[in-house]
Amino acid sequence: MQTMMRMTALSAAFAAAAAFVAPAALAQDSLYVPNLSYRTGPFAATGTPIMNGQRDYMTLLNERDGGINGVRIAYDECETGYNTEKGVECYEATKANAIVTQPWSTGITLQVLPRTNVDQIPVLAPGYGFSPMADGKVFKWAYNPPSSYWDGASMLLNYVADGDLSSLNGKKIVLIHLDAPYGREPIPLFEKYAAEHGFTFLPIPVGVTEMQNQSAQWLQIRRENPDFVFMWGWGAMNAGALTEAARTRFPMEKFLGIWWSGHDGDMAAVGEQGKGYRAVSWNVPVSDSPLMNDIRQHVIEKGLSQIGNQSELDWVFYQRGLVISMMAAEAIKAAQEEFDATVITPEQMRWGLENLNIDEAKLEELGMSGMVVPFQTTCANHTGHGGGWIIEWDGSKFERVSDILSPDREVIEPLEAAEAAKYAEANAPWPANDECSL
Amino acid sequence: MLYRVAGQFKTSYKADYALFPVRQDAWLLTFILLLAFVVFPMTANEFTFRALLIPVLIYSLAALGLNILTGYAGQLSLGTGAFMGVGAYACYKLVTIFPEMNIVVAIALSGFFSATVGMAFGLPSLRIKGFYLAIATLAAQFFLVWLFQKWAWLYNYNASGAIQVPNISMFGVPVAGPNAKAITQYYFVLGIVCVVTFFAINITRGRIGRIWKAVRDMDIAAELVGINLMKAKLLAFFVSSYIVGVAGALFVFLWRGAAEAELFDIQLSFRVLFIAIIGGLGSILGNFLGAILIVALPVLLGVVPRMFGLPISSAMVEHLNIMIIGALIITFLILEPHGLARYWQIIREKLIIWPFPH
Repeated sequence: MQTMMRMTALSAAFAAAAAFVAPAALAQDSLYVPNLSYRTGPFAATGTPIMNGQRDYMTLLNERDGGINGVRIAYDECETGYNTEKGVECYEATKANAIVTQPWSTGITLQVLPRTNVDQIPVLAPGYGFSPMADGKVFKWAYNPPSSYWDGASMLLNYVADGDLSSLNGKKIVLIHLDAPYGREPIPLFEKYAAEHGFTFLPIPVGVTEMQNQSAQWLQIRRENPDFVFMWGWGAMNAGALTEAARTRFPMEKFLGIWWSGHDGDMAAVGEQGKGYRAVSWNVPVSDSPLMNDIRQHVIEKGLSQIGNQSELDWVFYQRGLVISMMAAEAIKAAQEEFDATVITPEQMRWGLENLNIDEAKLEELGMSGMVVPFQTTCANHTGHGGGWIIEWDGSKFERVSDILSPDREVIEPLEAAEAAKYAEANAPWPANDECSL
Repeated sequence: MLYRVAGQFKTSYKADYALFPVRQDAWLLTFILLLAFVVFPMTANEFTFRALLIPVLIYSLAALGLNILTGYAGQLSLGTGAFMGVGAYACYKLVTIFPEMNIVVAIALSGFFSATVGMAFGLPSLRIKGFYLAIATLAAQFFLVWLFQKWAWLYNYNASGAIQVPNISMFGVPVAGPNAKAITQYYFVLGIVCVVTFFAINITRGRIGRIWKAVRDMDIAAELVGINLMKAKLLAFFVSSYIVGVAGALFVFLWRGAAEAELFDIQLSFRVLFIAIIGGLGSILGNFLGAILIVALPVLLGVVPRMFGLPISSAMVEHLNIMIIGALIITFLILEPHGLARYWQIIREKLIIWPFPH
């Protein structure tokens, strides 16, 4: 026992000494892109395919092109398990060399967002985080392209109303949402729309602990008999809601979700019974695109991917991971060109994210036509508001069933500005982006 | 040799009951305090402050609060996480309603809110004991977290339902919020932890501490010798929840920077309870040792592969981490069921007789 104790003491001392030395310095000729991933914990099922996609795109760039303009990308994951405490730890561990940080969970984003202002590291939070982050004049360091949750809510409403919101008058819409900052995010916008267009809006929260048992919520939905049910779900909640909807024979064509609720892995649980379920999404899998062929050739066949099953390549979430890494890579490219440098700084990366122009031509060039909605960011618009498509579950996979939808920006903008101002005031002195003249 | 007590004569009761009857203990503590106040701040980087030192101190403080209740007064509680939440939300409301209030005052006051709530939920302890009391405090846990979610006034009607720490300065130096430097926050937390620990050591070895121990060991006997059980138990709940509340306020204001209601769920209660149990119930030192094992060791283990550039994916590191920590906890508890603090006692006893064991 004594030897064991000595060993423990020795290894503990060793580890302690290791922690006090500065984090390993990286080679100067690479770009450090950390990702606060979650391949463990209750949300692992939804996180893993995205992380695989993000990782594989960066591997592809390194393998096929030797990095970006000759600089290799040091893509690194720090595991958070979707736990906010681990999130802080990972942010602190990776920030020294990072040119961008990707916090994932809304809870971690909340903690990290104020600090990035001080540490001067841009936050890339595609399709999540605060909707008001779109206001680039207030949130100088945060980016959530190509669409925010409020954009998503507006697109869903417009889609079910066939573009004429007044037709919703007298109808009843239920929002079944995760009872967390993420799930509560769209409520203010829905309430505003409900007041304007005369429909009844009823949010039904699902607690994190009751994600897998939603019988009470669906009983309420059956009693209310709404015209539409929207879902802001995540992780085990999606599969829970879909199984419960199938079990109570709720018509799937009245059931629509946000992009995080359109996951092939969740749908597998209901299979055929989930036929007709739709979700709004800013990316659609295009499995025969040139990019996917390259991924197969340079990453999968060489055994460099962590993907479990080849069929996961066709998943919406895997390809969304590719798209997210593409945004980071394109921002790096833009910054490299603007500043005529190969190894860029976080400040330059911020410029790159602010000047992303992902149009049809660009997507064609990247071999990603139709995989993501075209969008463009500016210093005042950190989201780009590219809109999204509606995808429908056909029993075995998601199919695109609509043209690009656009959010009602004139309704959302005042709300964004007000919420952004409120945030800045609560966190005073909050540094605004005064250089932006747009 | 190092710990030779021979020759340290006590000539009065006062000397015999001093905080450190053995001189070497005082030296050891001086050495540790020197490390904490001088050496660590000079060598640590921001990651070490934010991921290791500050969380260990805050968790130790929370475990200390729980240990007073469970370890000294023998009242099992599963509501620690929620009481930390009461401290955090109280501090948030105080700071936003009175922005000019000094942060130390706000934190000290927020402890009283959680102390009051803790005492209210401690009332059942007058009639029920042991596991039944644990269930009653479990009710506090669920009720309070539910309240944090539903009572929008608590989080100032924020759309996200989370509380966000504003920038707070003390004497012109930012101590909380994004502008605060890690080293300032570390000293702030260290200062409060030292003061509270000093207070806790003295309260537990004095008259009140002895009353608690009597109640813990056999409450009927304690009552027969004239101890007022109601006073003793409620006081234990009060003091314990006060310290836990202060720890909760520090948890959010000096470390996390933002918090959602879910942060204070049962997981946090269990975590603090594990620290107290593994460190050693009925001991002050144990809380610090337990926090080092439960809070700091996973962080250190996670850093090691990255340091040496081992090709292990971060998810794998996390899995390994859980396994190693789990195995360590079980090993420690099998080898020494009384916790890490007891280990130190054994080592100390051996050192005293070394090198001539009987």
